[in-house]
Amino acid sequence: MKRLSNPFLYLFVLACVSFVLLVSFGEVLWSTTGSVAERHWTEKMFFGICHQLPDRTYSVDGALMAVNTRCFGIFLGILAGWVLLPFMGKYTVDRHWPVILLLLAVTLQVVDYLGNLAELWHNTNHSRALLGVLFGVALSVSVSDLFVKRKPNL
Amino acid sequence: MEQDEQSTGTSPDSISFGDMLPSATVVGLIFSIITFAIGLAVGYYEISSEATGAMLSPSMLSGTVICLISLLGGVLAVWHFVKEVNPYIKLGQGAALGFLTGAVMVILSAVYSEVWNFIDPDYTEQLVEATIANVEAMDLPDAQKDAMIDSMASSVRQGQSFVSQILWGIPVSGILNLLSGMVGVKIFAKKENQESF
Repeated sequence: MKRLSNPFLYLFVLACVSFVLLVSFGEVLWSTTGSVAERHWTEKMFFGICHQLPDRTYSVDGALMAVNTRCFGIFLGILAGWVLLPFMGKYTVDRHWPVILLLLAVTLQVVDYLGNLAELWHNTNHSRALLGVLFGVALSVSVSDLFVKRKPNL
Repeated sequence: MEQDEQSTGTSPDSISFGDMLPSATVVGLIFSIITFAIGLAVGYYEISSEATGAMLSPSMLSGTVICLISLLGGVLAVWHFVKEVNPYIKLGQGAALGFLTGAVMVILSAVYSEVWNFIDPDYTEQLVEATIANVEAMDLPDAQKDAMIDSMASSVRQGQSFVSQILWGIPVSGILNLLSGMVGVKIFAKKENQESF
């Protein structure tokens, strides 16, 4: 933590992102108690931001996650990147590659989405999750230099 | 020069919740109108179309687009804040502004839904019927169809519930826009004064 300029913010965001990832596991991690017609509480949390199509969502023994594979990949990638963030400083300070990586990851998401929509290719649950992980990691890494403690200019 | 700016109220330490609210409201208002209009247009398109049995219905596809647009809210709120209020916004303040923008978007979208229920009370039921008709036209086993109908129908109905949208929507939308708010700080904020939270 000593190497971070904003340890409180770092830990707060770490807690927030961990919360989002844990909730995204949906019925896989959180037991179902309501009726079948009632949506699981974890699915309600992601209703506005994820289409939650059953066939595009990972499941374990019939229990569905609360988000589709791409969103799960993004949340997983954000958390992975955030955990690595304290160690990324010397590789990202005053460098442009994190922003380029983020733009590349966003472009890949759009291209993959449009290519599948136009039936140029068919993406899979795993390919969507992997691209999501790339985007999530890139998002966290892109802000990593802002957490680096800099020596004051004398 | 910087001393002048600090003394005239552009110090990041002088930024308050009230300073952030206009940027969050303006960006939240614009983005919630855009996302609500897209959702509404696609919803009516689905209601007026023949059920095709396609797994990816227009409303489901629009969900992905709406998600991507929503995530830009935090970035653009910081851009607006930097341009109009204070160029020296700190990382934590950008994160707070992003969260606030996400919350405003969720609340305004819920308000629009309520208003639209008065304008067209049949919209929700028509959308549920169109969704069910589409699932019934799918080439799937009956048990799977029933499960999808239950899930999608309750999804559409609960999407229209004001309290449900706000209570369940703000945490995730807020956290994601919190992250994009930090990206906004990285891109748009002046780099001085980033030492402390």
